[in-house]
Amino acid sequence: MELRPLAGGLTVVTGENGSGKTSLLEAIAYAGSLRSMRDSPRESLVRIGAERAVVRLEAADGARRTLLEIELAPRGRDRVLRNRQRVGRVQELVETLRTTVFSPDDLEIVKGGPERRRALLDDVVVAARPGLASTRQVVERVLRQRNTLLKSAGGRLSAEVAATLDVWDAQLAGAGTQLTEAREALLEEMGPAASAAFSQLAGTEAGLELSYRRSYEGDLGSALATGRTSDLRREATTVGPHRDELLISSAGLDARTRLSQGRQRCVTLALRLAAHEVVARYAGTTPVLLLDDAFSELDERTARALLEELPPGQAILTTAGGLPPGAKASGVVHLEGGRIVR
Amino acid sequence: MTKEDANRLARAIVEVKERTTICRTCFNVGVGERCAICADERRDPTVVCVVEDPRDIVAIERTREFRGRYHVLGGALSPIEGVGPDQLRIKELLRRIEPERVKEVILCTNPNLEGETTAMYLAKQLAPLGLRVTRIASGLPVGGDLEYADELTLGRALEGRREVQP
Repeated sequence: MELRPLAGGLTVVTGENGSGKTSLLEAIAYAGSLRSMRDSPRESLVRIGAERAVVRLEAADGARRTLLEIELAPRGRDRVLRNRQRVGRVQELVETLRTTVFSPDDLEIVKGGPERRRALLDDVVVAARPGLASTRQVVERVLRQRNTLLKSAGGRLSAEVAATLDVWDAQLAGAGTQLTEAREALLEEMGPAASAAFSQLAGTEAGLELSYRRSYEGDLGSALATGRTSDLRREATTVGPHRDELLISSAGLDARTRLSQGRQRCVTLALRLAAHEVVARYAGTTPVLLLDDAFSELDERTARALLEELPPGQAILTTAGGLPPGAKASGVVHLEGGRIVR
Repeated sequence: MTKEDANRLARAIVEVKERTTICRTCFNVGVGERCAICADERRDPTVVCVVEDPRDIVAIERTREFRGRYHVLGGALSPIEGVGPDQLRIKELLRRIEPERVKEVILCTNPNLEGETTAMYLAKQLAPLGLRVTRIASGLPVGGDLEYADELTLGRALEGRREVQP
């Protein structure tokens, strides 16, 4: 299907459940990150029975037009072209297209496990500083390599395992420290914006406190060395950026356990708005807003407050029902069975 | 393709399979016990360039910048793929150093995570032998734009900086 969203305003995509609305947003977000916005496994990004999925997208930044083409197969690497040239690094895609996604699943950022909050932070790190896209990938890959090595060691620290662990640890310490420091710096910048947005959305005096808790003290290299024995026993890496925590609270109450679900929704919206603002400031360009059924779970007051808080720029909103009260659509398309019918 | 062409192609494949061997010294592909590079007396045996794969030798040879010998590891460290030091020809490399009076080892593994990790591992293994160990410079591509370099590459390029002769 082909969509021509309007450059400045709000494009609304309507259609019943299963008509392909979310897939459309997923395709846009994927083109700028090579990651699923819903954390879906790779196989499920390609229609069942199809050999591959193709996303073709033209991004405009002022007068400059950039054509992105991504071909993904259920297995293996994506084939990525930018202006018909092969692209080797995710960084080049991020520099072309940044998106901010709002989705009902976002509630999991507050309610779910710490990996969701780390993923949010890492998305912000990469969108704000695309040069760190490879750092994020290296951290993920070193961890897989190191954990596989720990498993194969079967709890024994032979001279060979020790020598090999030394070099993987050095790699993890380097990339891991770079990622952690970038997360901390960006979180610091997100703090005030998130707090102000939360007060507005929730209609309260109380703001939001964001803090980062490392899984280790001192430098990561020494922490890995100290934790080696226990890592071997547990066959897993117990310190590093993948074990750090983003803690969120409002007026001292832990957002995960002590806030009502309505307030938790406001927290996720505030985090997304703050992320959007920080990325726009770093990148010097406004990310495209992808609002996946973003208003359906909100009460009318919060929906109105969100509409007021949403920054200007290009936005694409999907909805199975009507428009949120007060929203002005610049264009509407309707989907049926994966096709645009009008 | 005619039947005759098909037969010729088939014979060529069989001939390649029968004639090519792995060099006993450096593990490059060749004909006979030693590859053409190891057999070439004009090449400097005291400098050994370590690569992951015989195809890397082809690429380096094309530059005509290197007149030493090679050593093919047969891959890079990658526990995910079941490759540890024992699966690579590392012991064979260490055994070459003394008899061949190697003075310098150039680590030419790929500039990706596994290649870098393998280079780091080899540097540690070679350190006690008291020879010069160098790593191929990795960083900005010639003609590349500083603005578009990712931070890992840029960081590595900074680490590997050198003096500019006035």
